[in-house]
This record gives sequence, structure tokens and C-alpha cells, in this order.
Amino acid sequence: MRPSLLLILSCTVWGQERLVPLLKEHCGACHLGTQAQGGLSVDSLEALMQGGKHGPALTPGASGQSLLVQYVTGEKTPRMPLGGTLQPGALARLRAAIDSMPATPVAARRDSHFEWLLRTPAANAPTPSGQNPIDGFVSSRLEKEGMRMAPEAPRRTLLRRISFDLIGLPPTPEEMRAFEADSDPKAYEKAVDRLLADPRYGERWGRHWLDLVRYAESDGFAIDGERPTAWRYRDYVVRAFNRDKRYDLFVKEQIAGDEYRGKDASPLGDRSVALGFLRFAPWEADANSKKQLRQDLLNDITGTVGSVFLGMTTGCAQCHDHKYDPIPTKDYYRLQAFFAGTATADLPVAFDEVERPPEMRQRMRQHEDAAEAAQTALDGQREELKERYIALMKVGPEDDGLKKFLGRLNTRNLFFLEQDLPLVKEPEWREPLRAYFATRDTMQREQELARRYQALAYTVRDVAPPAAPDVPDTYILAGGDLAARSEKVEPGFLSCVTGSSAAAEIPFGGGSNGRRLALAEWIASPQNPFTARVMVNRLWQRHWGEGLVRTPSDFGKNGEAPSHPELLDWLAAEFVAKGWSVKAMHRLMLSSAAYRQGSVHPEQAAFAAKDPTNRLLWRMNWQRLDAEALRDSILAISGRLNPAMGGPPVLFNVPDDVAQGFEFFKWFPSSEVEQRRRSVYLIQRRSVLLPMAETFDAPNLSTSCARRQTTIVAPQALTLLNGSLTRTEASHLAELAMGTADPVGEMFWRMLGRAPSAPERAQGDTLAAQGNPGLASLATVLFNLNEFLYVE
Amino acid sequence: MDRRHFLFGLSGAALSHLEAGTHHPAKADACIFLAMLGGVSQIDTFDPKPKLAELNGKIMDWSKEKKTDQPNLFAKPRKFVASPFRFQRYGQSGREISELLPETAKWADELAVCRSVQSDNGNHPAAVFQMNTGFIIPGSPSMGAWVTYGLGSANQNLPAFVAMPDFRSIPFSGAQQWGSGYLPAEYQGTVLRAASEPIRDLASPGDVDQKLLAAEREALRTMNGAYRVQRPDNPDLQARMDSYELAYRMQMEVPRVLSIDAEPEKVKDAYGLNDPATASFGRRCLMARKLVEAGVRFVEVFTPSQSWDAHGDIRKNHEKNARETDKPIAALLADLKQRGMLPRTLVVYMGEFGRTPDTPAEQETPGRDHNTRCQSMWFAGGGMKGGSTIGTTDEIGHKAVENVYHMHDVHATILHQMGLNDLRLTYYFGGRNRRLTDLGGRLIKELQS
Repeated sequence: MRPSLLLILSCTVWGQERLVPLLKEHCGACHLGTQAQGGLSVDSLEALMQGGKHGPALTPGASGQSLLVQYVTGEKTPRMPLGGTLQPGALARLRAAIDSMPATPVAARRDSHFEWLLRTPAANAPTPSGQNPIDGFVSSRLEKEGMRMAPEAPRRTLLRRISFDLIGLPPTPEEMRAFEADSDPKAYEKAVDRLLADPRYGERWGRHWLDLVRYAESDGFAIDGERPTAWRYRDYVVRAFNRDKRYDLFVKEQIAGDEYRGKDASPLGDRSVALGFLRFAPWEADANSKKQLRQDLLNDITGTVGSVFLGMTTGCAQCHDHKYDPIPTKDYYRLQAFFAGTATADLPVAFDEVERPPEMRQRMRQHEDAAEAAQTALDGQREELKERYIALMKVGPEDDGLKKFLGRLNTRNLFFLEQDLPLVKEPEWREPLRAYFATRDTMQREQELARRYQALAYTVRDVAPPAAPDVPDTYILAGGDLAARSEKVEPGFLSCVTGSSAAAEIPFGGGSNGRRLALAEWIASPQNPFTARVMVNRLWQRHWGEGLVRTPSDFGKNGEAPSHPELLDWLAAEFVAKGWSVKAMHRLMLSSAAYRQGSVHPEQAAFAAKDPTNRLLWRMNWQRLDAEALRDSILAISGRLNPAMGGPPVLFNVPDDVAQGFEFFKWFPSSEVEQRRRSVYLIQRRSVLLPMAETFDAPNLSTSCARRQTTIVAPQALTLLNGSLTRTEASHLAELAMGTADPVGEMFWRMLGRAPSAPERAQGDTLAAQGNPGLASLATVLFNLNEFLYVE
Repeated sequence: MDRRHFLFGLSGAALSHLEAGTHHPAKADACIFLAMLGGVSQIDTFDPKPKLAELNGKIMDWSKEKKTDQPNLFAKPRKFVASPFRFQRYGQSGREISELLPETAKWADELAVCRSVQSDNGNHPAAVFQMNTGFIIPGSPSMGAWVTYGLGSANQNLPAFVAMPDFRSIPFSGAQQWGSGYLPAEYQGTVLRAASEPIRDLASPGDVDQKLLAAEREALRTMNGAYRVQRPDNPDLQARMDSYELAYRMQMEVPRVLSIDAEPEKVKDAYGLNDPATASFGRRCLMARKLVEAGVRFVEVFTPSQSWDAHGDIRKNHEKNARETDKPIAALLADLKQRGMLPRTLVVYMGEFGRTPDTPAEQETPGRDHNTRCQSMWFAGGGMKGGSTIGTTDEIGHKAVENVYHMHDVHATILHQMGLNDLRLTYYFGGRNRRLTDLGGRLIKELQS
């Protein structure tokens, strides 16, 4: 079956721009226009598809089967171009262009994978069995292979596992001792419930969500301007997890909080702040083309909504029909049309009670006052500099050099000032200028701080009638190019799900255009085949280290097929049946034997040979602590983690040259006490990542991160051996341990939740004999242990 | 398991490349990329335009140009600006180079110049992203990361990819310019500072007794060893232990490689280390040579962010920046040549875009604005044809008209010289195989030897 011309044209702007000129250059002498040899003209893709007397010159998606390639390579004769050969580079590009065309029309791509995926989980009606159906599904699959699960892990391992899993911190020695001594058969369930009720649960799981939504508190690009109140979204997410907000509502609030009027609607603050989700893309504030900037934002939203909520790589259909999944480009733009009336906005939204409004007001005033005082001082210093210039340079007050000098005082960076005005390097200028810039730093810092406490939501609003004449039209853009508008489209859901390309019904008009709400309702519905599956898979992934689908944001053809499709379906149906409760899913998963099994199997070697990547779940996976859990745990173990929740971001220390090196902003670190807060509260500034987090595989903040990498590199060792975090906390831990009856034992308990073995005790005692520095060294060693970094 | 699997070198997907060898025999083992941030004016360096002397001060007609890189600047009348710098022919090739670069000019016959490189965006941040990652938006791996992913490291005790920004003014988006994007973190560039601690956390803490440090090391080995023995199934445990041994070796190796003090005074002088104007760039050029000599694959040296951005005064700006970089670059070429390293080391000199032949008419001191339609860049060594030139711009130096190349083509050529095929160097991410050159670049064949 031949793909439609439009498909091909939209798929390869590159083809139009580079393939056709290439062919014209080499083949144009004989194959152009109406007199073309053999009826084949190469002057457009259309003409190539039309072909000549032998048929179409191109077979999209298969260069080897394309007549054009067969003639060019000499596989068919006469070899083309006649009397010459195409250079290998040109041939490679030709092949690549043809291979990148979609092979079959997307609508026809309904294979068994999609037959399964496009039925709702409930419709697949998996049959649960056993006390915890998870174990029924896992065991029956293992039995088919003659395998079985590993025995339950020791208690110590289990408490460590659920503690890191749920709150991202190790159990305290007291918790560990109490748990090991608890003879209640429900001890484990009690521990799970305690951790789920702990507010630090929201901090841990909120951070997972922030990875997905490419959360950042700055724009990126050159200016990388701060988004001073974006943190309210972070706190909204933390609260949502702690309160076990229904997931369907969580979805609706982030896509259409402003348009949602349901009975269970949250306060306006939450609904408005949640929409920050739509705005976290990098933003080129000084972009030359505002139209392109808007289009870039729409593209980001279209792709992110698809991958985060639907687990479909919708972004791949921006320039051409999806190459693997049944998503035509048209659907991409129909999906995008839901956001056509959406504009970015910073709106005044009062702080909710839990956001501590009086404190916010007071802090804002305090910083505003300080900024004002600094401004007054700065004006004075500026006047003094002016006088000094007049005196030293012996010029009048209207002198051009003076004006330039004063203008340059507004420059952002001493380096640029020196570049423009070499005179400032003179000794008599150094000190007064240093003082002037110090005051200006104070002013800027206070202004920045004040902005973070404003009652503003980093959000979006609708631009729709009556505020605007109409919602802007959406067009298919060939090759994603704004200049290449083709068919106009209406908002519509994925046609592979609905079976039609009809426009979506928009629930209401009025002050809001209702489009996003229509989309949100469609996504957050039990009838949507993707939503529940994708979310339960994400939860599973965080507990087991790998999802049942190991490509958590790509459920399509090119992702990994599910290891246990029936289990996935059952979990998804159960998720909906339990009112989309995330905590209910945690309880269900954590109570399973599949979760509670050990990470080593008695028949390790035999089973590992059969299933080396543990897809069938015959043991628990190992997990290395992620950057946040690692940093937070080190602080918690030394007893110095600052537990304060929420509020404006914390700025960590960076080397001076980094702090001063950016042209458009300066870096003002927070106080030492503030810097000891949990990692989720550290500022997520795109151009300045926490070096320790970067080394330990933190996301890059520009695109959605569904799964962190786990690399093992020497700089990680250097960070933990020599970095200030471990060394500082090690000496605090030493001090703390010194005050206990058994310093060495205390350290092992705090760090690993157990007493030291005899050899460890001996080694510890040797170091401890050296007093505080020796104990600090022992602490450093323990922070570097595999047993500390890996959760079994 | 070979230890390079978990240092800066290779893992997983990339391994298949190495086992298969490079895609084709490499011409260069290493690349030194000299990033001229802000954008060097081609008209005032490698692409003389006598016609501009004739047109100087006349009003330029932009009405026929649909797109411009900086709409605000181009909305008003603009006038032509002749180059304030004299050109002269150098070397056997008779290459024309302006008086701005007298030292580089001595190496005219080593340079392979392309005068027709175009790019996609006339805004600095987007353009710098494209120069470093191929794409104008953030999130993609840098070219150094791609090379490392493809080739791994040649010295397991050093990072394979080193970035040396000028900390007086860091490139836009900082570490993202040498980041690994969606590639695993091990491929990201390691920042080397010219300061006392070249790599973050490299040195052991100064306030801890040497004996204690040795005892720490011993305790860590024993405890990790005992733990691993009971869990033989997890290869990561051994890998992590080995990464510590590597870290200890790096602590010895890096300071040794980077010790500049031991260099002869003559060498220091040649790189301009004794002159405040050239010291910063010169020091980093010298470090680049030492790193490449020790087996580092990719070194990127940056000028300060936007340093060449000569909107206000082309003469003053370019004189200053040329003064800071010309001598160190010439010294680098001389040093590489003298040590016999130049044939296997690819040196690349380019900015994020070129500059315009004109300036706003109202502006008293002439400057030049951003120009994505052409820039002059050069390669040296690494299998490129010294003395060759390709690409023609129109008579005013406004855009490339013949043998036009794109930033992707520069990237494809760099990869090619290093033994990698840009179409085959891919990484699966976000639903498709990604490349440095997106849909592929063209090799700049005319400059390859």
C-alpha cells in the first residue's frame, strides 16, 4: 500500500531541502521536467514517488528496495548516473533519507501490541489469584520457566528497603531496633503505614514527579532568568503526594486546573500553581522570533503531555508521522490544538494556609526593606564615584567620558567593566568600586529574595473570547516548520484510541475556552487505555528499580514490551477501582512477596543464566541511592539535616568563579543552616547544577526524565572521598558519636542499621584510637561503602 | 571486566562500537576545539572584501532579505563598514589573513579554511548550543560527549573529554555546553581549571593526616571486599571498588600531567603566559597540548562568553580578542608540530556564527552584528589539507554563495577525522535514534587530505 503524498512531504523537510538538490545535481541532466528520461523526474519528492516507467523511484522506509538506490548501486542496470558513480557520502545520505520515511500508513499500524495496549486494562480482564494477586501473576509466570521467587529478605534489609523507597532516608537505629524486636505479625505493614504517613514521603515521591515534568526554576538559555515563584509547584506536588491526592485529579489540575469546576476541585491556589506543569520547558526570553518561541512551547507541551501521562512518544510525530506507533502528524497538531488558547502568565494567587501566608508576607517585606536601604546607600556611593571621577580626571559634570563611566556602573560584571573601562584597574579606583559593587550585590540579593516571596503563581491562562477575538487556529506544520503551514486542524484526541479524527467536544466556552479541560478529562478517565497503566508502571519502577515496561515513557512499539502484561492490566484496573489512590498502590505493591523477596536467590547461578536481567522477578533488584537520597542520608546520619519543609529554594555554595562568572545573574548562596535542607528544596537552576548531584546522575532539567542512569565513574569516588559534603558531615558525625557509650558501634548503626562485625569492629577501633579525626575518617569510610550506597 | 567500562570511557551501548573498532581508520586521535565565543568577523580575519572599502558608509538595502538574525537591529537603516584591518598574503598557499592575526598567519599553510559555514540561529545562546551540540535547544549531548561515547578514553587515568571555560565569563548555560545530554553521565566533559585544584575534589583534604588517609583507604578496601564476597552476583560492587582505585591513580596522574611549572621558560613565553593579556588563553592552550599528549580525546577551550561580540566597535573589540588568542594559538600549533603531534591532532577554530558587513547607520563607531549566513572557520592537523580553502561568500561578505556548508557538516567532518561516521554514531532516546548531526552532515571533502 502506498503512503499518501502528504505523509512523505511532511516527513522530510530534509528530503526537500537536501535530497532533491542532491538528485538534481547528479541526475538533473537527464531526469528533469516533462522531457525526463524514462518518465522519471527528480525535481520533487512528489515526482519521485510518482516515478517513471519502472514504477515509483522510492520505497519509503526501505532504501534497499528503492529502485533509485538499486540503479545507483548498480544492482539494476544501467548503473546510474550514466557513465559515473555517486560518491559514497551522497549515497549514504540518500539511503538515510529514504529510510527515514514512514514505511506504512500509520493508521494501518494495528498489530498485536496495539491490540492489547488500546484496549482498556479492565477490558482485558486479567484473572487475579492468590492472597496478593501480584504474587499470583509473578509466580505463575516464573513457574512456566521452572523458576520461583527468592525467600523473603531479612528484616533489617526490608526496613532499609522500604525506608529508602518511601522517604528516601535510612531508618534510625531506634526504628531499626524497634522493628527487629516487634513480634506483631503486622509489624511490616505497620512500618509501611508509618512511612506513608511521614511527610518526608511527599518530599521523596514529589522529587520523582519533578524529574518527569522537567521541573526547573529558571528559563535556561543565555539569561537563564530565575522563575522566582516556581517553587510553589514543587510544594504543591509534595503536598499532593502526602495527601494522597487522587491521581486523576492530579492530572486534571496540571493540565486544566483553571478550567476545572468539579466538586472535588482544590482551592484556586493549588489549581493555578499546578498549571506550572505546562510552563517548565526551557524558555528563550530574548528570542528573536516570538512566534517561534510560542511554537517551541507548544511543541514541548505536546511532547511532554504525551510522554508523561500517556507514555506515548507523541513528540516524534512533530515533523513526520510517528515511525513506529499509530500517531500521524495530524494527531500531533490536533493534540497541540488543545493548548492553542493557552498563554503563559504570572498571576497573583494568594498563598494557601499551608503555605504560611503571614510568614511569606513578613519575609517579603523584610527583604524589600533591605533592598531599599541598599538602594539608598548605592545612590550615595554612585554620587561619590561621580565626584571622584570629576576630581581625578579634571572634567566637568557634562563630560562624555563621565557619562560613559556612569553608564558602565550598571554593567553586570566587573570583568565586563574592566574590558570596557581599563581605568578601573587603577589602584585609586579599585577600593571604591569594590565597595560600590558590594552594595549593589546586597541590593540585588535582597531584591531576588523578595521576589521569591511574592504571592504569584507561575502559571498559564486562556486567551479566548471575550478577552480575545478567538482562539488562534492550529495548522499542521510540514516538517515542524512554522513557515510550512498546511491543513488546519481542530482539537482532537489520539485517533488510534478513538478510532476517528473527529474534533473533540469542548465542554464550555465563556471566560475560559475549555479546551484543556476536555483533554484533561479524556486523559484522566478510566476509559483511557494509557493513563492508569503508565502511572502504575512508574510506581512499580520506583519500587523495583525497573518497570514492568522498562521504557516507562514509551509504551509504543519501540519501547520494551511488558514483562507481565496481565499484571500490569490488573494493577491499572485496581488503581482506578481504588479511586486512583497512589498510597493504596504502594501498600499493595510493598505487601507482595515479590517485593519482599531477597536480592540474592539460592539458585542464583541457574536462574541468572535463564533470565540475566531479572525480567521475571525471581529476586529483588539492587538499587543504588540516587543523588538526592545519598546527599539527604549523609546529612541525616550526621544528625544535621534541616527538616524544614517548603518555601523558596535554597542556593548551595558554588566556587567563587562560578558565582561571579555569569553575565546575567549573580549567585547568592543561602545560609549554612538553609543549605542543610533536603535536596528537593535546592534550587533547580538550569545553568548551575549541584556538582555532586550531576556526578551522581541527576537529570539535566531540560527534558522529561523518566528513568535515571546509574553510572559508576571515578569522579563519584573523588566526590565522596574528598568533597566537602562527606568530610564536613563525617566530622560532625564523629563528634556526635563521641558523646555516646560506643562511638564505633553508634556509627555503624546510624549508617547501616546494624552492629559492626568483629573485623569491622577491630578496624573501627584502630581508627577510633586516633580520637576525633580517626572517627571522622571512619565515618568517611562508611559513607563510601557499597553497603551504604546500595539498597538490597 | 576492563576497567575502562566504568571510568570516563565506555559502557553499554558504546561498547559495541569499540569492539567493532572505529567505523573507519581514524586520521586524528584527538581534537582541540578552540571556541571563539561571540562570533569572529570573517570579513576582518580570513575573508577579505575589498568591495566594502568602496561601499563604506553607504546605506545597505535590506528590503530584499526576508529573514534577519536580529530583527530589532535590522529594522533601522544600516550602512556598510569596510574592514579597518589590512590583509596580506602568507605562506606558499598565499592565503590572505588580516593584520589582526600576525602569529596565526605564520601557520597559514597549516590551516584548512572553510569560509562558508552557516548555522540556524542568530541568537548567541541558541547558536552556542548548536556549535557545541548540533541543536539550538538545550538537552543534547555535546560533541565531546559524542566523541567519548564513540571512542572511549586512551588514558584510563584521565578524563577523555576536558572543557576549559574562561571563568571570568562562563559560556551560556554553563556545564550544558559540555554536558552529556541524554547520554550517560560518564561522557560529560570534565571541567579543568587553571587554578590550584584543576578537577573538583581531586585532592585529598589537606587537614587530614596522611597516615589516616592511608588507613581510610585500607579500611574501605577491606570492608567493601568482605561485602562483595558474600554477594558475588552483583558486578557493580566490584566496578565501584575499581573506580576508587582509579580515583587514587587520577590523584597522582592529573597533577603530573598538568604541571606547567616544569615547562621551559621558552615554552611559557611562547604561549604568552608571562603577559597578562595572553596568560588566560595561553595557559589553557598549553594545558590542552599536555592533555592531548597524555591521551585525552577531546579538549575544548573557550574564550570568555560573548567576547568577540563586536556590535559597538569592531576595531577595538577584535583587536583585544585577537591579542588575547592569536599568540597562544600560534604557539599551540607550533608546539604540536614540533612534537610531531599535529598530524594526529585535529585543531578546530570557530565561533557560533560570523558577523555582518554593516552596522546601524546611526551608530558612530562602526561595529558588526550577528550573521548566520557565513563564517570563516579553520581546521589544522588531524588529516586536514593545510593551505586549502573552500567556500565563497558574496562580494560584501554577507552570505555564503558557493560550496555552502552547515554547522552539522563541521561536526560530521570532526567525527570523520576521528574515525566515526556521523550517521552511524547514534543513541536511542525519546523514541528514536539520535545523532550529533541530526539527519546527517556532509563531509567538507575539499579540506580533507
